[in-house]
Amino acid sequence: MGKKKPEHDRQPETVEIGLPVDCRMAAQAALLSDLLGALDAPATQLDGRAVERVDTAALQLLTLFRREALSRGRAVSWLGASTTLCEAADTLGLVQALDLPVAAAA
Amino acid sequence: MSNAGLAQFQQVFIEESLEGLDTMESSLLALDEGGDGELVHTIFRAAHSIKGGAATFGFPEMASFTHEAESLLDEVRGGKRAIDKPIIELMLRSVDCLRGMFDRARAGEPLNDATSDGVRGELAAMMGREAPAQAGPARRAGDQAGAWMIQFKPHAGMLASGNDPLRLIRELAGLGELVVEADLSRLPALARLDPSECHLGWSIELKAPVRREDIAAVFDWVEDECDLSIEPKPTAVVTPAPAPAAAPAPANIADAAAARGTREASAESSSVRVAIDKIDSMINLVGELVITQAMLDTFREEFDPSRLPLLQQGLTQLARHARELQESVMGIRMLPIASVFNRFPRLVRDLSQKLGKQVKLDLHGEQTELDKTVLEKIGDPMVHLVRNAIDHGLEVPEKRRAAGKHEMGTLKLDAFHRGGNIVVEVSDDGAGLNREAIVRKAVERGLIKSGDGLSDEAVGDLIFQPGFSTAEVTTDLSGRGVGMDVVRRNVSDLGGSVVVRSKPAQGSVFTITLPLTLAIIDGLTAAVGEERYIVPLVSIIESVQLKPDALKTVAGGGELFRFRGEYLPVLRLHELFGCEGAKRTIEDGLLIVVEGDGSRVGLFVDGLVGQQQAVVKSLEANYRRVQGVSGATILADGSVALIVDIAGLVRLHGRRKAA
Repeated sequence: MGKKKPEHDRQPETVEIGLPVDCRMAAQAALLSDLLGALDAPATQLDGRAVERVDTAALQLLTLFRREALSRGRAVSWLGASTTLCEAADTLGLVQALDLPVAAAA
Repeated sequence: MSNAGLAQFQQVFIEESLEGLDTMESSLLALDEGGDGELVHTIFRAAHSIKGGAATFGFPEMASFTHEAESLLDEVRGGKRAIDKPIIELMLRSVDCLRGMFDRARAGEPLNDATSDGVRGELAAMMGREAPAQAGPARRAGDQAGAWMIQFKPHAGMLASGNDPLRLIRELAGLGELVVEADLSRLPALARLDPSECHLGWSIELKAPVRREDIAAVFDWVEDECDLSIEPKPTAVVTPAPAPAAAPAPANIADAAAARGTREASAESSSVRVAIDKIDSMINLVGELVITQAMLDTFREEFDPSRLPLLQQGLTQLARHARELQESVMGIRMLPIASVFNRFPRLVRDLSQKLGKQVKLDLHGEQTELDKTVLEKIGDPMVHLVRNAIDHGLEVPEKRRAAGKHEMGTLKLDAFHRGGNIVVEVSDDGAGLNREAIVRKAVERGLIKSGDGLSDEAVGDLIFQPGFSTAEVTTDLSGRGVGMDVVRRNVSDLGGSVVVRSKPAQGSVFTITLPLTLAIIDGLTAAVGEERYIVPLVSIIESVQLKPDALKTVAGGGELFRFRGEYLPVLRLHELFGCEGAKRTIEDGLLIVVEGDGSRVGLFVDGLVGQQQAVVKSLEANYRRVQGVSGATILADGSVALIVDIAGLVRLHGRRKAA
């Protein structure tokens, strides 16, 4: 997991947040603080490509983040998401709320 | 979790649960004999684990069944109800039902059947009779609908207790197609979120004709941690669905079939649980082996003849470690026979009650270890012997009293090592074999002409002949037409033998002798032309050289020779296996008299080469199944020798004769 501000010559002001391989409960205190920090940035890119384990708590956190960011007029997009992540979101009926690609969930 | 992953855990769950059921059964039997109340807790804990595991690993029917049993146990545990015979009886039958469910789970069949439904009903009725307040429980068992609406709102603390809605909804998806809608209305602001609290809720439509209890079983473990409502979806919404909405149904069936396929596949790969000290000792041996190898390696770089003794010592060590490692690896397959013996207390209890006999079961040598494959196959023959002993051997109390014996008969099961074999004995102090009845029946069946001059062993041996049964009255226990011949065949398929010793009015002892393992057999190497065949030692009675005139040819081309008063057929191995260059005249070769499948035959071979232990290699796995051959082995010179399947040869001969 990590939060980084990419070089200024590319997409300035975009925060990129990589989700950890094990994105379950234990990882969420750190993820929450990253996400809270990202609320101030005009755009956030989430990278869920590495996620191999995920639980309801993680998806709840991401859903809440996206909802709150959008309500503040920020942009939230995905750099990519693993099949595990997409499937879990599909199971919990959160694909739309998270704006995850449905195709990957199939 | 992937399907393969889940299947792997299901397998472990099933094995652990079967052990749990054994615990439940033995504790129930102990309770039946006046055991203390702590046993109820043991039984409850076993049931509770099975219920939890069943819900987790995708067996909702099993979870819901165990839930009923557990509720009844809970009433006993909580002092609301005293443990009595009817409860023990019903719980024992529940254990049987669960075993059946596990068998069906392994076979990928539907878990519920008429018996399990019946017992479930009885469990509910037993609780309902004395607890009318619970007569209308929230869960209406058996309530069925074509589709369901489920409102599931976890309490905030559910995640922290380790229960994840993701897992529950996945499990629900195992029942049929879901349409899941998440309710985000309870989500707090991000800054106020405690990630360990759950604020989501779900409205789920399950498009499958399942029972309410199947759905409820999924939520069994979280019923106190959520608001849950399960209602049939109004038919008005379901019925107008034309072709498009009906389409998912076949997909569901396919999904279910796929899930069953996974379970089936997992059932085939059986596993063995190994004590950690066995593994440690193996690791230790491998360590020794590596050290010896390193020592021998030094000779590769520089060999000085003065170090020859050291080299010899190293090679001796290598040989010893290899042998110890072999024994150690074989030891992994060895399991205590207790797992087979444990089924008998229940069987004896049920049978003796049914027949109005009093039987005391004595178990000895439960810790004797046997190869896992042998262990799995010895159960059925033993059940047969035990049934026979109770049904025919032990007398009813009145008869025993009249004979001056204690009213309670004793049935003893014993297992011990003798030589390189395992001996399992089933003995009773009943009436013993009825010599007259056996001889009469054998004469009727044309097996013998008369009983005159027959030794007791020879008479005892008659009961192992196919189709032989002396039960005067055919009960539903024994006397179903499958008799001792099946026992003998099963045991000989394992490379073992079974004999009976009996004394009138004192009882009978059935002795099963089994090889320690199926992976190595003791055999005689016989030469046939250029080929070598291994004849299992356990089947050999003796070998004889015949005079030219000792061979009789009968109509149809069969050859017979006289052996201890009876005529035995001659099977020429070179003809059966098409060997070239073999001896053809009877006096030049040797006849090995063998016994298999209850019959004796003479195998004609060129001669005997020697006795050896043969490591059995499966012919089926490496080539294909060959009739009359049970496997192959590699001889010291590197050539392959086939191991003769005596029982198979005898059957083959029988079929040819009949044809």
